Amino acid sequence: MKTQMPLSRPIRRFVKQTEALLDSELILRRDPEADPGGTLVDMYSYNIDKNVIIIPTHYLGLIKDFIIARQCMHLLIKGAAAKKSNYQVCSFSADSVLRGIRQIYIDALKDEAKKNKKLPVKNLAQMLIFLYSKFHDDINSLPWTPITNASVYYQVPEIRKTEIYYLIKEGKLGMDDMAESEEIIPQRYFVLNKSMHYARDQFLAKILLADELMPVLNIPQMKKFNHLEVKEMLTNRWTYTSWYQSKVVGDNIHHIMENYLEKIDWTAEPSLDHFYEIYQQGVNMTNHFISYMSMKDWFVWDTPKNMLEAQKRKKEYEIMALKTIFGEYVGQVLPDSLKGKL
Amino acid sequence: MMSQEVLVLLKKGRAYASRTKYKDALVFYEKALSLDPKNPETWYLRAVVFIETGRITEALSSCDRAIALDQDYADAWSKKGQVLYNLERFEDAVSACNRALTMNANDAAAWYIKGVCLDELGRYDEAEKAYDKSLELEIILDIEADKKRSLK
Repeated sequence: MKTQMPLSRPIRRFVKQTEALLDSELILRRDPEADPGGTLVDMYSYNIDKNVIIIPTHYLGLIKDFIIARQCMHLLIKGAAAKKSNYQVCSFSADSVLRGIRQIYIDALKDEAKKNKKLPVKNLAQMLIFLYSKFHDDINSLPWTPITNASVYYQVPEIRKTEIYYLIKEGKLGMDDMAESEEIIPQRYFVLNKSMHYARDQFLAKILLADELMPVLNIPQMKKFNHLEVKEMLTNRWTYTSWYQSKVVGDNIHHIMENYLEKIDWTAEPSLDHFYEIYQQGVNMTNHFISYMSMKDWFVWDTPKNMLEAQKRKKEYEIMALKTIFGEYVGQVLPDSLKGKL
Repeated sequence: MMSQEVLVLLKKGRAYASRTKYKDALVFYEKALSLDPKNPETWYLRAVVFIETGRITEALSSCDRAIALDQDYADAWSKKGQVLYNLERFEDAVSACNRALTMNANDAAAWYIKGVCLDELGRYDEAEKAYDKSLELEIILDIEADKKRSLK
């Protein structure tokens, strides 16, 4: 382990365990520009020879430790799959980008037909690109957050208080995700996005069932949660959101999640076989989500190396998709991010 | 009273350090020290850079210089706690953290280092209390930081 950061003993132990299982050193680094949840730059996803976890500089203590634990868990899952030569990610191709964007376009037209104020065509084109990318990013990350959170909860119990605070905060961010775009994006995709976050919260509420929200702390903003169970916190607040009428979708996704994740023995002895089993359930669950959301041909399972290559050609694929949809008018509707690439 | 020149040098050094460009930050701190070796803040900032770059012994002597110039420099005591933890001098680290906390009881980092060191010393109940206090303060800071971000 390479770091100048002080680490609590359970986290130090967990990092060393991760290094031992994966037979590779882990570097912990701080960066002011790091993502709030930390960033994992690993040798299974990128063409590098070490694993690095980058943490935001403003986290100094236990929150930093939790972020490290969670990223270590993600690393273990990836590493276990890679060591079985079976690590794949949801990538895309020119054809799959076209299929996804075209479906979003068709759904958008149906929604637009009902509106009095239509979205300008250029904004519509931008929204198509944005939504496809958003769902691609979400399908590669959202299914894994309940998995890594549950794993950390059981494998590093000393960090539970911090984890509960962080998950409550993260859950709120998930609830607010895309809120500013609700009037613009097709209703279907707004509901699907919310459903994935809702399902995650429902699953975590079950894991954290018996935990109370830090009754020992004296923070004024947290006092209202005294004697409130995490389950109540993570579930009741969804009832006040506008999308709640579409709860059926969220409950269905939660049900899918349960079917796969209840097969995992979270308290099993940490081993590569255990983390590989978690990886397989995660992939199966992701596939089921994709199928349920009718996005089956939007993505392509591929190696991380091939996805990096696909990323380099992403703008090219987006332009090709927009050309197919808008034909000769594509020049007029091209978003600024793609101008100059035509 | 810090001269304008030293103030500017420290500002530049801090800007580099905040972007983790520690080598560049050190250049400015060394320049500031050459102009005014009796400014405790410069010694403290130098200690911070040394810690981040793994130069722990130099970090300790920088902390000690800062404290020698200002016995009530809470941040310097807190940083000394971290340095002593890195040197695995856990009892001394707890003392340094306690000193820092008598001057600034809201130092989340000092509570955390204290918790880590007490844990190492097998004083688990005390460690848990220190961790709880550290977490409480970290959460307050996090909530306030989120509020500021949402206002931008």
